[in-house]
Amino acid sequence: MREQLEALRAAALAELGDRASAEQIEAVRVRVLGRGGELTEVMRRMREVPAAERPAIGQLVNQVKREIESRLEALQERQRAAALARSLGEARLDVTLPGARIPRGRLHPLTLVMEQMLDIFASMGFEVAATQDVEDDFHNFEALNFPPDHPAREMQDTFFLPGGMLLRTHTSNGQIRVMQHRKPPLAVVCPGNCYRRDELSVRASPMFGQIEGFMVDRAGRVTMAHLKGVLSEFARAFYGPQTAVRFRASFFPFTEPSAELDISCLLCAGAGCRVCKQSGWTEILGSGMIHPNVLRKVGYDPAEYQGFAFGMGVERQALLKLGVDDMRLFFENDLRFLGQFPSFAARSAS
Amino acid sequence: MKLPLSWLGEFVRLEADTGELCRRLTLAGLEVESAERVAPGFSGVFVARVLKVERHPNADRLNLCDVDAGAVGRFSVVCGAPNVTPGMTAPFARLGARLIGSGHGGGQCLASLQEVPPLQAAVIRGVRSEGMLCSERELGFSEDHAGILALPDDAPLGAELASYLRADDTVLDIAITPNRGDCLSILGLAREVAALFGLKLKPPAIKSALLMPRAGQANAGNGGGALSVDILAPELCPHYAGLPISGVQIGPSPIWMRRRLELCGMRALNNVVDATNYVMLELGQPLHAFDRAHIAASRIVVRRAGQAPGGALDREFVTLDNTRRALDPADLLIADPEKPLAIAGIMGGLNSEVGAATTDLLLESAYFEPMTISRTARRLGLKSEASYRFERAIDRAGQIRALARVAELIGASAGGKVSGAAVDAEPRPAPARQVMLDLGAVNSILGVAVPGAEVRQRLRALGAKVKSAGARRLMVAPPPFRPDLNEAADFAEEIARLKGLAEIPATLPERASTPATPNDYRGFMRAAREMMVGAGLTEVKTIAFIAPADNQRYPGMGGGAVPVTNPLSAELGELRLSLAPGLLGALRFNLNRQAAAFHAFEIGKVFAMRGGAPGEHERLAAISCGDFALGAVGQPATAASFWTLKGVLEQWLIALGAAARVEFEAAGEAEHHFLHPGRAARVLFEGEPIGYLGELHPAEAVRLELTNPCVLTELDLVHLIAYGFQPRQQVTGPPRYPAVRRDLALVVERDVSAAQVIAAIREAASPLLESVEVFDVYEGGSIAPGKKSMALACRYRAKDRTLTDEEVNRTHGELVEGARRRLGAELRQ
Ligand SMILES: [Zn+2]
Repeated sequence: MREQLEALRAAALAELGDRASAEQIEAVRVRVLGRGGELTEVMRRMREVPAAERPAIGQLVNQVKREIESRLEALQERQRAAALARSLGEARLDVTLPGARIPRGRLHPLTLVMEQMLDIFASMGFEVAATQDVEDDFHNFEALNFPPDHPAREMQDTFFLPGGMLLRTHTSNGQIRVMQHRKPPLAVVCPGNCYRRDELSVRASPMFGQIEGFMVDRAGRVTMAHLKGVLSEFARAFYGPQTAVRFRASFFPFTEPSAELDISCLLCAGAGCRVCKQSGWTEILGSGMIHPNVLRKVGYDPAEYQGFAFGMGVERQALLKLGVDDMRLFFENDLRFLGQFPSFAARSAS
Repeated sequence: MKLPLSWLGEFVRLEADTGELCRRLTLAGLEVESAERVAPGFSGVFVARVLKVERHPNADRLNLCDVDAGAVGRFSVVCGAPNVTPGMTAPFARLGARLIGSGHGGGQCLASLQEVPPLQAAVIRGVRSEGMLCSERELGFSEDHAGILALPDDAPLGAELASYLRADDTVLDIAITPNRGDCLSILGLAREVAALFGLKLKPPAIKSALLMPRAGQANAGNGGGALSVDILAPELCPHYAGLPISGVQIGPSPIWMRRRLELCGMRALNNVVDATNYVMLELGQPLHAFDRAHIAASRIVVRRAGQAPGGALDREFVTLDNTRRALDPADLLIADPEKPLAIAGIMGGLNSEVGAATTDLLLESAYFEPMTISRTARRLGLKSEASYRFERAIDRAGQIRALARVAELIGASAGGKVSGAAVDAEPRPAPARQVMLDLGAVNSILGVAVPGAEVRQRLRALGAKVKSAGARRLMVAPPPFRPDLNEAADFAEEIARLKGLAEIPATLPERASTPATPNDYRGFMRAAREMMVGAGLTEVKTIAFIAPADNQRYPGMGGGAVPVTNPLSAELGELRLSLAPGLLGALRFNLNRQAAAFHAFEIGKVFAMRGGAPGEHERLAAISCGDFALGAVGQPATAASFWTLKGVLEQWLIALGAAARVEFEAAGEAEHHFLHPGRAARVLFEGEPIGYLGELHPAEAVRLELTNPCVLTELDLVHLIAYGFQPRQQVTGPPRYPAVRRDLALVVERDVSAAQVIAAIREAASPLLESVEVFDVYEGGSIAPGKKSMALACRYRAKDRTLTDEEVNRTHGELVEGARRRLGAELRQ
């Protein structure tokens, strides 16, 4: 019996050489391990073995079985690996071809600029309030200290609508709308569109974006020094830490004192060039301490409250920041222009 | 406002260079827009006197002149000018001089002076000429070549003409803000410069009896020729002064005056009008000269157009520029007892214009209320240098001084003499202004402590009178030319401006930092934009003004169009009712530039009349045309269609958590005539229509020259924004037991919608039905004409157990039978 098992093992292992084909392997498996195979046959004849030898023979049977099985397994594994290796060599991809073109749009540059500015102000504690485009004379002019027939009104050529309404010429109406309904302390920015009677051109558009901002608190708690601090921080956050700022006295009916903020020219860094008319400075916004007459119009006592306000054009900041020089680009919506902008607004950390 | 630095130099002695001057003015709110150097158009030209004039021996038209140029020498000059006379003072160009206007027809500076060949000795008809006497054209001053330029007799002989005439000058162009009427004069700007640089201001020295306190006023009761003034509208004209001048001889003004007027951008006319303009530029007081011969009864009446004698009304008036102007009864006029003579403060009349024959004048110097001038000037569309100044408020106390100054100039240049008493009517004297200024308030506005002494000194430099009024308080009398200085903020501004805003520190406010309330509106907009971008649409921005025809084609969702009262053009005559025309415009713009496809959205406002008033509505609109998803190379593309855009909307609504509240239903045939009638949906939010989705009508596509189908959607955002503020539904864990799917196919009438089929199934369903979805719609083949087969997947699930096959089969069988009956459908096997 023992000899028989040894012979069986030797024959099987000899057939399962490294070059055995898949068919040969399968034939050995069926012949030796199959249901009516040689090993089964040996097992069936265990009764003939003397009882004392049975454990040893039994052990031998198991050992032969394991050996053949493991040999079969190894050969099959080798065959699978070879098949895989063959298939991997076929049908290679040109990985430089483009992927499936999943649709993706872009955000408009004015949105990106507006969002970035609002994020900066929001991080400095300003809340964002939406206000209306269709406005009355009181909120757009009178409450902002533009007397009727005053030449200052001509600085803002207005579109008039039926029913005594008009299209706001600035987002400063937001200042009045918010202050009329709330009490200080307030720190608010009002983004939105404004309208002035200018033809669409390289420099102007009849519709443009603005951000109005203001901060009001008890007298002495929000000063011209704070105006300078907040707007200087804004300019550096938006245009970069290397940006130099200067405040220049100016005039707006709704602020007193009034100041315009200039930043060092982004093109020549202050050395002087054609864009900044050799001055080295570029104007970015108007600002000032809220005029006492404006506070009176919303029912605040100027002896008790004081604040600053500012307003800035979104297109202007976008033109400066992007280094383009034509306002019409923003409203033509040429995909070759819009396609250069990202699909999401980068958020500030706050 | 143009500021020649030579003129400025008469009132303030400034050592700083031009660059520094410009910088300081700009930072102080007087923005210098340009600084232009004006170089003379000549060199080697001197002031000389013609001593002797003799006929040229060989030419009738030429003279031989003996010319004395002081230290430069004496010269013999051949001259053809008809006006040369012995004793006259004239510009003499010696040999080697360069003249920009010599040798060509035009006097304009065609070349730089260095390119002009130097003057050479010439022998003219046998006589040698050692230089030449110059006309204005040769010097580059004007086109005048009729004769040589006569210089004032007191011009110093031998002086360089360029320095005598200050022809080498720099002119600043300064933008004056509307609050600074006081800076619309050379003297006003000089005051600013003096205050900024800490210098002394030297106003022009005017010697005149007029400047004695109310000296010339006593004319009441004077007979005959004396002037009188009647002010019928004292609230519009609180002060009117007039001065009679006689014996003027109208002619050109002296060259120095003409040159200054021209440097300031004004045209020289004659020696009277030029003098009034000169004084206006110098002192800021607009003046008017009437030809007195045309003033009836020597009487001036200051009145409204509606206050004509006998209750009449002046309806029109012909101004100096020979234009007939329609008058409003409220317009302020200067008149005589018979007729209007001028529109006050704006423009004089043709009927009393000073002309070549004028000998007697009435000079007017008045204060008019800014608002009345502004209103009339705007209504007439007539702006003048005078109205520009009156509108911005002139010096309330400067009328008499200006009158004295102009009388002095006219006396010198036109030979006119004051011929009677001045009239000086001031029915409403200016109230004395006194402001109690709390220094603490100034500091609290600026955020920096300014010493009292500095405040005092700076305000005095501006012309204010300042007195101490107790601890940290000043009594300030602002000057009459600064009506804008009234309270602490105004004074704070002056101090900050003069000190320099750079002197104020930049600090951050101390604020309690409580977390801000989230801005749901902004969050909604941000999410909507990013969702659209992520779904393949590019954000565009279009302008809200559109053509009325576009509003008719795309009427939005109700309400009438809002017309703009004063549009830029008829094509931009209305505000948009819909975002669609703007998106279609952007689509066409891109297709015309070789774009193969266009998928875009816009979030913006539309405008509609509601109850007689214009209102605004926030909208989201999207457009899609051409291949939408391209797939990988070699794979088929997905073209934009109703389904792709509907998919974008649905994904967005799911992201918003609002999908279950939104329904799409077939739009009525005539609901949106710009949409394909069979491919248009009405979008409802909680049963309320909020917009549309559909394919552009083929006829509209043809009109717009579009070859591919174009899909559009537009939604009013009001309800969605409001919903976006509401808390989200309860969150649950995933189901524990498996679902079982059973399909069915129903053959229904063709116009039965999926929504109707699903509604019928839901009605017939047991609570075990978790979901039902359409997965195929099929027509033709074995399906009878007019019918369609709809295949649906039903998913069953119990919360507490695994369903058995028998249970599902029974439940599904009941559902199929129920649905079939409700829909009158056949079951397709
Ligand atoms: Zn520059």
